[in-house]
Amino acid sequence: MDLNRYFLIFLAAFLIQNILLIRFIALCSFFGISTSVETSVGMSLAVIFVMMVSSTLTWALWNFVLEPLGIGEFLYIPSFILVIAAFVQLEELFIKKTAPALYKAMGIYLPLITTNCAVLAAATEVAKPGFIKLSVAYHYTLPEAWVYTFGVALGYSAALLVFATLRERIDIAPVPPAMKGYPIAFITASLMSLALTGFAGLFGV
Amino acid sequence: MLIYAIATMGLMGLIFGALLAVASKKFAVASDERVGKVRAVLPGVNCGACGYAGCDALAEAIVAGKAALDACKAGGPRVAEKVADIMGAKLDKHPERMVALVKCVGNKDKTKYRGEYSGVPSCRAAVMAGNGPKDCLYGCLGFGDCVRACPFDAIHISPGGVAVVDADKCTACGKCVAACPRGIIELVPASHKVHVLCMNQEKGVVTRKQCTVGCIACQACVRACPKGAISVQNNVAKIDYSKCDDCALCAAKCPVKVISGRKESVEAAAS
Repeated sequence: MDLNRYFLIFLAAFLIQNILLIRFIALCSFFGISTSVETSVGMSLAVIFVMMVSSTLTWALWNFVLEPLGIGEFLYIPSFILVIAAFVQLEELFIKKTAPALYKAMGIYLPLITTNCAVLAAATEVAKPGFIKLSVAYHYTLPEAWVYTFGVALGYSAALLVFATLRERIDIAPVPPAMKGYPIAFITASLMSLALTGFAGLFGV
Repeated sequence: MLIYAIATMGLMGLIFGALLAVASKKFAVASDERVGKVRAVLPGVNCGACGYAGCDALAEAIVAGKAALDACKAGGPRVAEKVADIMGAKLDKHPERMVALVKCVGNKDKTKYRGEYSGVPSCRAAVMAGNGPKDCLYGCLGFGDCVRACPFDAIHISPGGVAVVDADKCTACGKCVAACPRGIIELVPASHKVHVLCMNQEKGVVTRKQCTVGCIACQACVRACPKGAISVQNNVAKIDYSKCDDCALCAAKCPVKVISGRKESVEAAAS
């Protein structure tokens, strides 16, 4: 139990290797949802929740089924998608019945992120050693997997919320007609990304 | 290895399939079929004028008896009647159709500007940055906060820089009323044609210097009205629509021609 190590894992996932702004995974939802802060909050909540649970599931699936049977190398993507999709469907039914308020807050985003690239990426990284291009194939323990996933999910939410706030402001700014909408959004995203590259190599991560 | 792979995927598919089948039965939410029907006749733009989160939420509230049958402001009487049909109830009263009205026709030629505003093109921003470029503090700024707020594309900025409502498209949802930082948009009965198109509360002398179509509170309309429907409050004339019968005698007497009302004349005055 080394707290320092958890902190580093979290920081790497949250900031230094931010899933949206550094690794550019899940750009579709990044640009699609960020038109208003309200929808971004709902999406962020849904992503944090789904990521945590799906990472746990895929971690267990890899360590107890795929790895011992020696079939993980070629079966990890289809089986992870299957697990995540099934879980999201179950979850949607469950909270619709038990927590209508929660369902209203993030209900419509749940089916959207069934196979969101960020969710699948985080779930794969914590389960399959060596999936990220690191120099060593690192095998996460379950608590480490949770910390890492939480970091990724928070990194996603933070980037999405900041970007949504910026876009709401850009909407009323005097932008040249040719740049209105997505072009200026892409430029903004790349500038945010450049800013975050400043963290690269922090603590040797 | 191939067997393992097939068996694993097959088993997982079976287990998840069974789980989902059980869950969909167990967690099935009993829903009233009237909710779907009511939802279908609501406009579906989720404007929020009813006070609920959206059309879905309002449909549920109506069926649950928490909201009135005519709670949908945007839908107006037509939607209210359809909802009443579905619910098997009668409407107590037929609400009058309302439309939004921008109470300003002071376009670029008619209102004086004290400077040029080149900041963020938003009425709210302009008001915060030195109360806008116009001399008149009650006039339309024309940066289109109301245009952006309108879910029905029913309000536009005229070439002269003043917002004009398209009464045919307007559903009186009230979004523009809330969006206008000057508070010069009002909901008025759609059947009425005669309106005072100014909100300037300055004294007549001051108003005259600011704008050629500003109400100078001369009381001519008050004297002209046979029904006693017009009163001057805070230096601006106001029509009581419950008394007004659209005779337009006041419009004829108004020295600054700020009382008018036919849709065409509002547009002509503003452009």
